[in-house]
Amino acid sequence: MPENDDGLEELGLSKSLTRRQVLRRTVGGFLVLYGGTLPKVAAAGVPKHVHRQYKNTLKIIQWSHFVPAYDVWFDKTYTKRWGDKHDTDVQVDHIALAQLPARAQAEVAAQSGHDIFGHLSPQAGLEDQVINHKEIIQEVTRKVGKVSQVGFKSCYNPRTHKWHGFPENYVPDPIHFRKDLWHQVGLKPSTWDDVRKAAPKLKALGHPVGLGMSNELDSNMLLIALMQCYGAFIQNAHARPSINSKHTVEALKTMRDIYKNGMTNEIFAWTAASNNQGYLSGRLSLAVNAISIIRSAEDANPALAQNTSVAPIPRGPVQRLGLEHVMGVYTIWKFSKQKALAKRFIADLEVNYQGAFKNSKFYNFPAFRGAVHNYTRQLAADPHKGKYKVLDLIARKYTVNLGYPGFSNAAIDEIFNTWLVPQMFAQVAQGKMTPAEAAKAAEHEFKPIFAKWRARGKI
Amino acid sequence: MAAVAEARPQSRRFRDLLEDRRFLAPALIGPAALFIVLLVGAPLVLAIYLSMTDATAGQLTGKFVWFHNFVDAWHNDNFRRALRNTIVFTLASQAIVLVGAGILAHALVRPFRGRWFLRLLILLPWAAPVAVSTIGFLWIFDSQFSVVNWTLVHDLMPGGGHFYLYRPVNWVLGGIDHLPWVHVGKIQPLNPPQWLGQPTLAMLAIIFVQAWRILPFATVIFIAGLASIPTEVHDAAKVDGATGLRKFWHVTLPLQLPIATVALLFGIVFTATDMTVVYILTSGGPFNSTHMLTTWAYQTGIVSSNLGEGAAISLYLLPVLLVVTVLMLRFARRVEVS
Amino acid sequence: MWSTLRERGISYLIVGPFAIVLAFPFYWMLVTAFKTNGDLYDLNNVPFTYHPSQAAVGEKLPFRHDHWLPFGFENATTSHVSFIFHNTNYLRWVENTAVVGGLVVAITLLFAVPAGYSLARLSGRWGQSVGVGIFLTYLVPPTLLFLPLSRVISKLGLQDRIWSLVLVYPSFTIPFATWLLMGFFRTIPAELEDAALVDGCSRLKALARVIFPISIPGILTVVIFSFSLCVNEFVYAITFVSGTKQHTISAGVPTDLIRGDVYFWQSLMAATLIPSIPLALLYNSFLDRFIAGFTGGAFR
Repeated sequence: MPENDDGLEELGLSKSLTRRQVLRRTVGGFLVLYGGTLPKVAAAGVPKHVHRQYKNTLKIIQWSHFVPAYDVWFDKTYTKRWGDKHDTDVQVDHIALAQLPARAQAEVAAQSGHDIFGHLSPQAGLEDQVINHKEIIQEVTRKVGKVSQVGFKSCYNPRTHKWHGFPENYVPDPIHFRKDLWHQVGLKPSTWDDVRKAAPKLKALGHPVGLGMSNELDSNMLLIALMQCYGAFIQNAHARPSINSKHTVEALKTMRDIYKNGMTNEIFAWTAASNNQGYLSGRLSLAVNAISIIRSAEDANPALAQNTSVAPIPRGPVQRLGLEHVMGVYTIWKFSKQKALAKRFIADLEVNYQGAFKNSKFYNFPAFRGAVHNYTRQLAADPHKGKYKVLDLIARKYTVNLGYPGFSNAAIDEIFNTWLVPQMFAQVAQGKMTPAEAAKAAEHEFKPIFAKWRARGKI
Repeated sequence: MAAVAEARPQSRRFRDLLEDRRFLAPALIGPAALFIVLLVGAPLVLAIYLSMTDATAGQLTGKFVWFHNFVDAWHNDNFRRALRNTIVFTLASQAIVLVGAGILAHALVRPFRGRWFLRLLILLPWAAPVAVSTIGFLWIFDSQFSVVNWTLVHDLMPGGGHFYLYRPVNWVLGGIDHLPWVHVGKIQPLNPPQWLGQPTLAMLAIIFVQAWRILPFATVIFIAGLASIPTEVHDAAKVDGATGLRKFWHVTLPLQLPIATVALLFGIVFTATDMTVVYILTSGGPFNSTHMLTTWAYQTGIVSSNLGEGAAISLYLLPVLLVVTVLMLRFARRVEVS
Repeated sequence: MWSTLRERGISYLIVGPFAIVLAFPFYWMLVTAFKTNGDLYDLNNVPFTYHPSQAAVGEKLPFRHDHWLPFGFENATTSHVSFIFHNTNYLRWVENTAVVGGLVVAITLLFAVPAGYSLARLSGRWGQSVGVGIFLTYLVPPTLLFLPLSRVISKLGLQDRIWSLVLVYPSFTIPFATWLLMGFFRTIPAELEDAALVDGCSRLKALARVIFPISIPGILTVVIFSFSLCVNEFVYAITFVSGTKQHTISAGVPTDLIRGDVYFWQSLMAATLIPSIPLALLYNSFLDRFIAGFTGGAFR
């Protein structure tokens, strides 16, 4: 094909004119495309005052709540009403759960941003960047009574005597199980031993239990809770690592057995959404998660919701003790120029938690128990036939903080966020380590983390 | 009159200045260099400083601890695995991209019917914002609803024709198993592969998605490189009687190398320093086996508030990339000269 | 005749499989976007077609009477697609992305064209060092850079405005563009330019009259490349801008369509698909223009 090169001549300078036209046309196209939108976007930087000019501005950032209606209530109703009363324009921004830490650090580095930052886990690592929230605690305590143990141990640092956050709410972490399937195998998930026994039978029915061992929140929470039921803890009450114990070994063995006989390797691939989806598809017979599963089922598959039991975490040989699923913690930055107003806002929200409790569809439980009255009656009044009554029991008796029996501290944070507990469990389940080896390896990893934060005077 | 006479040499002097390389070169680079130094250089220096302090949580200062953070990081098994993973991930995905883009670019510069449409399909991954298109892959590789697994283990022949894709695949895998040192399992229809739940598969999935994402970009650069070879060169090659492979080797390839090197260099840097794909697909799982330096640094430095160490972890890659870059630039220049 | 057929066949054989693999995720997004929740989460269903299911609250089935539709599309819902338009600021995110991208491209060209030319033609050894230096700053992961940069942004009063992104994005587009253009300028034989210089052109004139037109392929590459980098960027978009109305697509979509442990899969897929197709069309037509110069009129 000798002709082909002739066409190449067209690339020469003779073509440049048309090409310039092309460029001009393209640039023109861009201008048409952007011309209309530029002024609008430029104007967006200026805060809008819809009704009137307020004296103050209070900026809040928090997660996009799992219940969309909660955000609508919080952004459009609650904060507006509060703002009118306090002559304040309350601006609420939302961000996905996973992006909270990065945004928080960016605000610290920038030394500007929002006045109130709503985290979803205790932020001991940010201690030096936030005010002492003691005053708010005292005020709320005066008005509605004592803070719960979960809240206290999540947000207080006994070494520095500082409240590094205000515990706004916590979310109980129940199990969801299929009544029909468990009835069929003649068991109930009331102890971990029952789960271990039922798992192979349920798998044979084509409905395995769903206990994740992956790098995601649900797995992390579940596995630490399982350890607690076996009397195994990451640290003791004095913030010394205590992972290498025979209790940990027992917990690891249980999980290995459940995996080997009752689950498939999908659980290593899970995201936070997987147990929800697996349960909603009707495949899983058991899942451990906050009430997001049952709430979605009520919308998408009412029959399945009917057939689902919500219950406390199974009992282990030592005790029945679960974790908060997420912990809503508000912090006020040291750089905030509206500290007094921010304190006021947080205290008011907590003291009148009733609305938040209800609008979160009972997802959020106030960290100050006295902030809501008549839990039982309210939970029973849910249109879904008293299914949620058990949440109160779970919240009262079976929910502790991350780091229990000690406080939630920076070392616990780091262990949690680098997925070291799921790693330990998964290595045992996959037969890469014996339970004893894994517990020892975990201790080897945990010790320097504790030492590091102790040296910094934080634990 | 005098003013005009004076003005003329002055403007000429200015024009001379514009003709002078010693002035013109820095004047043209200056703005870009300044912009980059201010916006990247300065923060980089700060990052290096942070890596030698015990800074926590967004604080941009801390107590100076020299190389303590680097030593601490090194003694962590997960860190070492992340370092290894980063190298494997970068090399493997870029190898795929380089070969794929080379083939595609040469095929796509030729006109054929339907080329426009096929090229559109090839460009799609590049047009999609990676943070959301990777979420698409999360769905494709889902642990329960994976369409890949569905296609592998279900009867694809309508009317119960019993054609199962996993059977021929297993046949091939069985063949691979006979090779020395290689061990691959077989696909079990009841326990299908977990693309994001088994360390090897998860690495493969991450490499695949990264290659998927970079391939169109590299292809475009290669096409542009081919397109910018002036006609004269082709004419000269024709006169010299160079055709086919010989022309490719002696004419096209050397002319393309500077651009190919840039594409590859940036591909490497994007892959080694960007965490989106890994972070969204596996978050480093299963059991922290697919962490890259970026995700490990993020989990340590940002999420766990251990900023100094996070900075140290992410800076570990710098010398490696430095060496790679210098070597590649040397290589490119040598080829260019010869 | 035979040889053209064979060549065309080879082209299809090479390009076809690549196209299928690269575009499959988008086909899959399209299929998924219109599924009802009941259909999506049913393991017994063939995932490639649509199936009747118990409609979840708020899911509309606009095609339910159109039984002639293929793939069971009568069971599809448009609710999840319209969700992103009615319940999120999606169109605003698209606008923001376009504005940021367009401005960044303009800034990038302004800085990178002279720099690339200078590095390729004018500077000697020290220019190489500057070039390498520009590149090296690029080796730092943005996972880290966003912290010091956020200080800069707030000092300039740009926090939570899209202008912060307009300022910061060139920091990664300029190095790339400079290098790419340097590569392009090098492929242009110096003789072309020397000829112009001999004819009495000044250097800048030679740049504008001779070099610039030839390097339009390169410049177009830089345009689409820089634009796509802006569309892709995620870390800065999340950390510098927090109001939902100021988000770009990359930041807004995961924020509003992943709620805790619930992924709105169908809406996520639609949100990815919608900007991708026009952008790919745009990139493709750009590519057309400069490849046309290369192969135009050639009959193989």
